[in-house]
Amino acid sequence: MKKVLGVALGILTAIGGFVDIGDLVTNALVGARFGMRMAWVVVVGVIGICLYAEMSGRVVALSGRPVFDLIRERLGRRTGLVTLVASFLVTLLTLIAEIGGVALAFELASGVNYLLWMPLVALAVWLVIWRVKFSRLEQVFGLLGLLLIVFAVALFKLGPDWGQLVHQATNPHPVGHESWATYTYYAIALFGAAMTPYEVFFFSSGGVEEKWSRDDLVTARTNVFVGFPLGGLLSLAIAGCAAVLFLPAGIQVGTLGQVTLPVAVAFGKIGLAIVLIGVFAATFGAALETVLSCGYTIAQYRGWQWGKFVRPREASRFHVIMIVCLAIAVLTLLTAVDPVKVTEYSVVFAAMALPLTYLPILIVANDPDYVGRHTNGRVLNFFGLIYLGLLVVASVAAIPLMILTRAGQ
Amino acid sequence: MTMAGRVLHAQLHLLDRQLIDQADGHLLGKVDDVELDLDSDPPVVSALFSGRERIPAQQIAEIDTAVKVVNQGLDLEHHDDWTERHIIDKIPGAGDATE
Repeated sequence: MKKVLGVALGILTAIGGFVDIGDLVTNALVGARFGMRMAWVVVVGVIGICLYAEMSGRVVALSGRPVFDLIRERLGRRTGLVTLVASFLVTLLTLIAEIGGVALAFELASGVNYLLWMPLVALAVWLVIWRVKFSRLEQVFGLLGLLLIVFAVALFKLGPDWGQLVHQATNPHPVGHESWATYTYYAIALFGAAMTPYEVFFFSSGGVEEKWSRDDLVTARTNVFVGFPLGGLLSLAIAGCAAVLFLPAGIQVGTLGQVTLPVAVAFGKIGLAIVLIGVFAATFGAALETVLSCGYTIAQYRGWQWGKFVRPREASRFHVIMIVCLAIAVLTLLTAVDPVKVTEYSVVFAAMALPLTYLPILIVANDPDYVGRHTNGRVLNFFGLIYLGLLVVASVAAIPLMILTRAGQ
Repeated sequence: MTMAGRVLHAQLHLLDRQLIDQADGHLLGKVDDVELDLDSDPPVVSALFSGRERIPAQQIAEIDTAVKVVNQGLDLEHHDDWTERHIIDKIPGAGDATE
């Protein structure tokens, strides 16, 4: 019974923890511009993150080595350093976006400018990191993030023309004044949002924090294969809401208020309150995950003591990294840069950093020294390689498309 | 190249591996370089390097997906200790376990 409860809790946490500011903004933005014509990207992205999260979970459960350990080991010091710089900067950018997102949620709820909330948010993030146990912080914000299911309920309440949505989803191409260039650019952004590198850093390091062993393999796999796809459905619901409300009116999404508006239209103030708590939980939870991931990547590359399973003083450099990252986030946001714009860029840059992050996972998941007889089968390797190809294409195409479309305009 | 009778590939099994304190499981750094004794036949690993610190082969306890070492007479945690003393310990709760 306890085991079943643990698995259920893990799945719920995975669903609630799946969506972050990148998913919220990108899905709403894409839904408003292309309807459900990009739904397939979410599906492709979710399958990809499931594949690679399972591999990294298996490696960590069987060998105790988290992802960035593997990156340094398999790519060596130099290429490892390039990967570190790229994925650290992307994760830091994501952290900035998440903290901005939390502050924007507070602004929407209170009317007080987000710039005033933002330093408090960063302080709160740090306090939670400093004092709260790993499993607890993961569960609380994961479960609270489940409130975002209100997007799915709102979609039904809005009473869309389902045939129309299905028609869009099965006709994956740009229409109207949208070009193939913008369509592909946003497809890459959506792909990057679904497969952001920090997810595997956090997932695998979390395995060490929670001391996974061989026995936890089943739990880890259920979390991934059930939790992530359901989280992906939430993403689709967000896009669907925007497709119903904004696409016919030709309105583009550029603020967090617009992202949450469909729920307010469907359920009024109560709906708005629920969705804002959901957005708060999702972004705050993701802020914790990204700041921890900033610490994990550098500490694991350098071999420093890291983790919340030891007291802060025992992992002093790990904690200093996180404090510095939060300070950088605050300073960046104080320049009044638009957090929604930061989010849009962060998911595209994430797409660029993907291949170097995921290649070592694929290699080590085939190495018996690490996983014993649990190496990838042929089918898994086949799909793993296909995704690696996709990641390379997305990574190479990201910058030219960003320039060509002037970041999707 | 052998060590305690085991054939190792320096690049694959030693370089860039995590160093772990055999006694308490603390993470101590990475294997940055390997010192070989070329006079013996076949050549053997005589020491590992992490940063500037030289870890003699006798202090290597176990080589697996990480390298466990006997952390005696080594100063591998110098920088972490410095950060602890000068920054982290000044913040209340630095020595508390999380709840």
